[in-house]
Amino acid sequence: MNPSIEIQMIAAVTAAACAIPGVFLVLRKMALISDAISHSILPGIVIGFMITQDLASPLLILLAAFSGIITVILVEMIQKTGLVKEDTAIGLVFPALFSIGVILIAQNANDVHLDVDAVLLGELAFAPFDRFYINDTDIGPKALWTISVILLITISLMLAFYKELKLSTFDVGLSSALGFSPVILHYGLMSVASVTTVAAFDAVGAILVVALMITPAAAAYLLTTDLKKMLVLSILFGVSSAIGGYWLARLLDASISGSITTVLGLLFLGIYFFAPSKGLIAVLLRQNRQRKEVSLLTFLLHLNNHDSTEERGVAHLQEHINWRRVRAKSVLDLAVQNNMITIENQVVSLTRKGLEFTEKALEYIITNKDEKIEDMKDDFFLFRG
Amino acid sequence: MVEKIAVAVDDLTVAYNYKPVLWDIDLSIPEGVLMAIVGPNGAGKSTLIKSILGIIDPIAGSVAIFGKPYSKQRDKVAYVPQKGSVDWDFPTTALDVVMMGTYGSLGWIKRPGAKEKKQSLEALEKVGMLAFKSRQISQLSGGQQQRIFLARALVQDAAIYFMDEPFQGVDATTEIAIINILKELRKAGKTVIVVHHDLQTVPEYFDWVTFLNVKHIATGPVKDIFNDDNLTKTYGINYKVAVQK
Repeated sequence: MNPSIEIQMIAAVTAAACAIPGVFLVLRKMALISDAISHSILPGIVIGFMITQDLASPLLILLAAFSGIITVILVEMIQKTGLVKEDTAIGLVFPALFSIGVILIAQNANDVHLDVDAVLLGELAFAPFDRFYINDTDIGPKALWTISVILLITISLMLAFYKELKLSTFDVGLSSALGFSPVILHYGLMSVASVTTVAAFDAVGAILVVALMITPAAAAYLLTTDLKKMLVLSILFGVSSAIGGYWLARLLDASISGSITTVLGLLFLGIYFFAPSKGLIAVLLRQNRQRKEVSLLTFLLHLNNHDSTEERGVAHLQEHINWRRVRAKSVLDLAVQNNMITIENQVVSLTRKGLEFTEKALEYIITNKDEKIEDMKDDFFLFRG
Repeated sequence: MVEKIAVAVDDLTVAYNYKPVLWDIDLSIPEGVLMAIVGPNGAGKSTLIKSILGIIDPIAGSVAIFGKPYSKQRDKVAYVPQKGSVDWDFPTTALDVVMMGTYGSLGWIKRPGAKEKKQSLEALEKVGMLAFKSRQISQLSGGQQQRIFLARALVQDAAIYFMDEPFQGVDATTEIAIINILKELRKAGKTVIVVHHDLQTVPEYFDWVTFLNVKHIATGPVKDIFNDDNLTKTYGINYKVAVQK
């Protein structure tokens, strides 16, 4: 295989392996924990490297993952004292562990490729140089094998414990009451996140690992209301950004990990703006429409309350409800469009449809009963809550 | 008449950060009652349920469900947590939430199948929410969300139901719908234990009541013990005017 394809494969498999635990971290509102883990596994990596002298050794991965778990335990211990909040506890723990790692590198590992730059940003371009041999046969880069095995384990664990993970993420209380220990599931997820982080660390570095875990999940969350689809979309976003980022790096002659993160960021930004129902533009449009509808309803209620002709003159209405011309006009237009009013000689009258709508809406506002407006929901955003 | 005891709580003490929130609770709940747990805010009502269900570890005391520890009796107990305890923006549908009620009988790893789906649809029908089965849960009103939670408990088909404030933030129609289902459960011989806030409705809705305020004050039939004396002991002020029977 040529190195270009190998690098893309490593990046893509890493992205997929990160996206799966990432979805659950995002849904558990634990995105920050992945940042903490990615930094605090450093002392584990250094100590593991001192023992094994091999960055891809399984022992190193386990040792480093173990320091990830210690991070989570320490954060929870500090938090449980009730003296500081969770985010503060995270902010206290991971810099402490990370700095121990930095000092250990400076002291012991000056002569290897383990340096602080590589740790923060990774160096995907060098990953194909470290080969995996069986009986002197080259079977590909070590990093690809390591991360593939971890992806396989992650997928099997997720398939096996999908229902338990979903339940304990959505409703900790019921999960515990039904006998699916949230503590075991929590530490299971943390272990997977830690192991994945360690394996991805060498290739993409501490900062990009966080981006690969959180960004795809955050983007997918804006697009779907189905957990399975969220998982699939996250993997898809991760993998496509990994490959897209590689080619962007080739094009710009820039860092691969930096480019992957950039593509991920741009992808998220696009979805953040343009997601069909949860995106910023959709939300603003909806709010705008809701504002119009509230105005319309105010206007209709006013008409309903006032019978005399002079109270229903177009000019009088503008003045009376105290709206500016433009707004008054847009509300009038909306009402006419929906056949709720008729205008004759500058006098506004409610149509039969307008009257029915107003009465129904009034009843809803007074009783606040949802079933009364079930059939109106399709026409009007206003009642969708 | 010898009544079978559904839930027995013995010398239970629970503390958060070494501050007791439940203090030496002794409580026996007979089978087949529809019981309210009442008490002021911070009285430990939710904590009592959570420690009976093993969600919170007590620092002292024990709990028995039909004479055995809860961990051996999970299949006999259903639980409806407070609506506010979960994130309703979670990406899932009404039907899927109800199906979670079947997870307990499935155990680890096994996935719900056609049978579980059918049970869940029946439960949705029972709470009048079948039409909303595919709706994303954040798109439901507060009352509808509470009905979904009730359906999830019904799917568990338990002998004892614990409910944490099922009437909180629901409209009058839903409240009546829920209480009717609870009364049906009692008729079917089930034990239903409800953390409840509205003292006015206690005599109308429930046949048993527990007064709780960190300590256990009284437990018994509403007609015998729902009186000014116990209300005053629990709430610390005179309730004569507030509650008229």
